[in-house]
This record gives sequence, C-alpha cells and structure tokens, in this order.
Amino acid sequence: MPQQPINNIGILMAHDSYYLLKKEDVQGFLDALSSKMSVYAPVKSEGQFNFSKLGKKQKIGLEGYINTEFPPKGLLMPEGETLVKYEGSTICEVFSSEKRAIFGIRPCDVHAILVLDRVMLGHGDIEEHYEARRKNTLILAMNCTEAGENCFCGSLGTDTLTEGFDLLFTDEGSHYHVEVGSAEGGRLIKASARLFSATSRKAKRPKLVFKKHIQTEGLEDAMKRAAKSSIWEKTAERCLSCGSCTAACPTCYCFSLPHHVDITKMDRGKITREADYCMLLRFSRVAGNNVFREHRADRLKQFFYHKLVYGKENEGKMHCVGCGRCITECMAHIDITEEAAKVMRKYGKR
Amino acid sequence: MVRDNRHTYRPRPAKVIKIIDEAPGIKTFRLRFEMQKDRKRFSFLPGQFGLFSLMGIGEATFSMCSPPRQKDIEISVRNVGDVTNAMFSMQKGDVIGVRGPYGKGFPVGDIKGKDIVIVAGGIGFPPLASAVEYIIQRRKNYGKVYVYYGVHAPEDIVYRYKKERWLKSGIKIFTTVEKKTGGWRGPVGLVTDGLKKLKLADVQNAAGLSCGPPIMLKFVSQELRTLGLEPDSIFLSLERLMQCGIGKCGHCNIGDKYVCRDGPVFSLSELRYMQEDVW
Repeated sequence: MPQQPINNIGILMAHDSYYLLKKEDVQGFLDALSSKMSVYAPVKSEGQFNFSKLGKKQKIGLEGYINTEFPPKGLLMPEGETLVKYEGSTICEVFSSEKRAIFGIRPCDVHAILVLDRVMLGHGDIEEHYEARRKNTLILAMNCTEAGENCFCGSLGTDTLTEGFDLLFTDEGSHYHVEVGSAEGGRLIKASARLFSATSRKAKRPKLVFKKHIQTEGLEDAMKRAAKSSIWEKTAERCLSCGSCTAACPTCYCFSLPHHVDITKMDRGKITREADYCMLLRFSRVAGNNVFREHRADRLKQFFYHKLVYGKENEGKMHCVGCGRCITECMAHIDITEEAAKVMRKYGKR
Repeated sequence: MVRDNRHTYRPRPAKVIKIIDEAPGIKTFRLRFEMQKDRKRFSFLPGQFGLFSLMGIGEATFSMCSPPRQKDIEISVRNVGDVTNAMFSMQKGDVIGVRGPYGKGFPVGDIKGKDIVIVAGGIGFPPLASAVEYIIQRRKNYGKVYVYYGVHAPEDIVYRYKKERWLKSGIKIFTTVEKKTGGWRGPVGLVTDGLKKLKLADVQNAAGLSCGPPIMLKFVSQELRTLGLEPDSIFLSLERLMQCGIGKCGHCNIGDKYVCRDGPVFSLSELRYMQEDVW
C-alpha cells in the first residue's frame, strides 16, 4: 500500500513568498542563525564538501560545491548516537533536543530525507529518535547550478523541489533567490529582514545537463521480471561486498543496536545506533551462524531492488533519488544506471 | 539531551521467577514484569514475539511459549548466542529487559472451527506451544488438533510436563526423532514422515501452523499442500535477525517485507509472492 506523505513535519505552505538575498549577505544571515541554533553547511576539507557544524562567524565557501561527499542522513541518524542509557536498574531513553538548520542541502538529498520520513515515521510506528531530530531540523535547501559526473536526478524528478524545505535558495549570480516553504522558514526571513528584499517572481533555475540517465518507465516491472536473472550473478563477480554504496546512499537507513558496557563501572552502559549495511555478510546472520543472504549476488540485488522497486511498493515512492554517490564510491565501478539499463534492455517491454 | 518516557527501545524490567531445564542447552524462563502497567501492555497473540535484553550484552528475539493473557510470560531459549549464553547463567530473581510484543501472530481467530495441524521443529516449538495453550483454553472452538514435533534426538524433547495435560485436552501428539538414542521407542525419521500418514476428514476445513528451521518449513509446506491444504490456510513463522522490532532497521527484510512487522507469521500464499528466496 502506498503511504500517505507525512505531513506533521515540514508542513506545506502556499509558496507565495519569494525574496532575494545578496551573496555577500549570506554570511550575515548564517551568523544570525548560528546565534539561535546549530547551523550545518557544506564545508570543504581535503577536497571534498561535507556537512559540518559552523563555528561562530565561520566563513562559508561554496566555490565549486556540487554536492557533499556523504549524504545528510548522518545528521538525522548520527553514527553511534546513544538511544538508551542505563545505570543499575534505571533505564532511560535519551533524545536529542538540538535545534538546527541544514544549509545548502541539494534537492536530491531533500527528497532522500522525505524518503527517510516515510520509513522512520510511517507504517504506524514512529522511530522516536529520528522524529526528535527531524522535528528540530530546518531544511535550507539549495538548487543546483551544475550536475555532477554521476548525477541522474534529472531522470527521477528529484532535481526540483515543491515540498520538504523551509527555505529554498537558487543561485542567480550576484544574489540568491529564496523561496519560503514553511512558516518557520518565513520567520527566519523576518528575523533577518534587512538582508532580504521581496520579489514576486519565481527563481531562474539554470538548465542542468546530465551525463547519466535512468529510464523509470517500466523499470519496476522489468526489475521484477529480472528477479532470477544472471545479470546479478555477473555483476556480483565484480562486487567487493564492501558496503560503500549503502554507506554513501542518502536513503539507506538500516542500522544495528549494539550494547556497550562502561568498563569503569560495569552496571552502567548504553545502547547505541550504528549504521549497518545489507551488503555485508554479517547483516542477516542469526545466532547459530545461519546467514540468510549468503550469496553476494543476493546482497547486491537487495540493494538495487530496495532502491528501485521495494521503496515504491512500501512507501509509494522510489528510494533512489539519483544523487550518484553509490557510483562515485564504488571501487568496482558498479553503476546503478548501467545495471538498470541492462535490465531494461533484457526485460523491458518494447 | 533530554530524558523522558518515550519508549522506542527502552526495555521494561521483568523478574525471572522460574527456570525450567527443558533439555541439554534449552531452558524455559518464566518472567514477571516488575510494573503492573507493563504486564497490562504486554498482551499478545500466539506467534508474536518480544525482544529480550541483558543490558550490556545485547538483545535477542523470542516468541512467547506461554498462553496469552497469563500473568507471567514464558520463553524457551536455546543457548546459541551471546545473549542466550548469558541468560543461561541467570538465577531466579534476576532481571531481564523486555520490549514488545511485536509482529503478527498466528491467525487464531480466523482458524476457529477448523482442524489444526501443527508442525514444530526443534526450538521452533515455542510459538506453537503458545497456540496449543490458546486453543486448549477455547477447546470447543476448534476441531481436531494434531501436533507433529520433530527433534534431533530424544533428549532434545521439550515441554514433557505439558504432554499429559495436552493429551487430556484431546491434542494428538506425534514426536519424531532423527537419531535414536537410549530407550526411544517412537518413530525415527523426519517430522514430515508422520505427516504423510495423516488423513484429514475435510481438508477445506483445516489449517496448518508451523515453525522450525527453513529447510523443514519448505518440506512441511509441500507436505501440507499434498494433504490438500490451501496456501492461505498454511501459516509459517519465520526466523530472521531482528534488532528494532518495528520495521525500521532492515535486518529482517525478505525482499520488500519486514519479517518483524509483516510477519513473523506469513501464510504460504503470502510467501509465494516474496521477492527474495524465503528458504
């Protein structure tokens, strides 16, 4: 059953508010914001952009920014976050209350967060740790001016946004066009009103040119027909089963809940959340050493099918958002768009 | 950081009030929630499961073997992993963390009035034992009940103390061992051997319930089909790794399905549409 979109977070508003912000004023806007909440923005380090918490008056530099190396999922499900603490017989669940804004997040990654919302907050069971972070997170998205080497969001419609943001920035050269997407976003503009000038026009988005594409029409059916295909065995011969694709994927949410003991005081400890990956052999191992997804091809298939088929079945929308990170990170050069093309060539209806 | 009473992962304390040595490497633990409200909250159907934790060691999944709506809950545990190994050194009075119940159990309501064929393999017996107890509490609502139970060797047989009571309630029990030891006089072979001899009066009015190792489930479902049972009258409880219990962590996925949320009990007709191999 397709899920209804989750509307308790990032409530949709009529997009009736457009503003312009001079590029030299972005710093002032973020500085003002930093005094009220944590601000995460793309920060370049060792040649790669990644979301990082801005320090006081930290200068922002977006020169050459296409997208972050790692997706923003780590801001909503931080690696190693403490979920439960215990001491003796006292056990309590721990929740984040950090108020924060993510600035510069790309449309594909906003779509990815909407996927995570449908999974973590949907199906009648709310994952409360995700919810705690999500409802305290403002999305200050930024449209792309240029497609990266491996981007294929253009084929999936995830290169544009109509929902899921509080503010949406579009680079128009000397200034940003800013679209308000929520009441909270509107309040941010009001709080720095002197930096923004109102406009009635929509943003001028540059046309993006993509090198990679994925054919979505008929893909789901073709994938289903390809369930027993030799394509997967063949590709799995190259796969290193390293989990890079799943680690890099903005919608891969699988996790484990390890227990940790404080060795200085043995009756004290915690349960944390750590990302876990279906690509790894241990992922499906149960006590007694039975592994349910023993073959590499089956693990590879689980990733591709989850991204291209199962998400649509479970949450009404494909989980792949076309960010291309799995292609970039794969050491064996396995490319989800090529695999999908193979499936379409062999199993697509002509 | 704030602390409060939300409870996605917080285990509730329950005291071990009885430990039964069932067989070598298998114990049954009777647990009582320390708080009254937790006792009320933990109402389940046979086939549903809980997550049981020893703080600092980890969490493990067990289906309850006791009947629902009993003051205490019981789980039977085979010592195969870190958590179970630690459980085996527990004493009466020790505390264990419990959260749940989770998942979809056996459709005990839908199969009312039918003859019930239960097939248990090894440590797959507990959720089925809960179903038998449930049926016994409402004996008139169900037809004939057959329990086929397969174990490796006679010493692995559990719930010996239940047998007499079950027989008195008209439950027919057939135990098969794969390897004969000691003075065993019963049948030797596979649990499906016994099933082959079963004659049901009306296969349209019968249901099969099973839990056990994957390979056994595969052959049991074939055998039940041969008997004439429809795929939507055959219910199998599957094992997978589970960590969250609420359909988020992904460990229990079979294709697009979450065994913890959509199962662990699936009808054979549901399993036919799985997008990944089940066995």
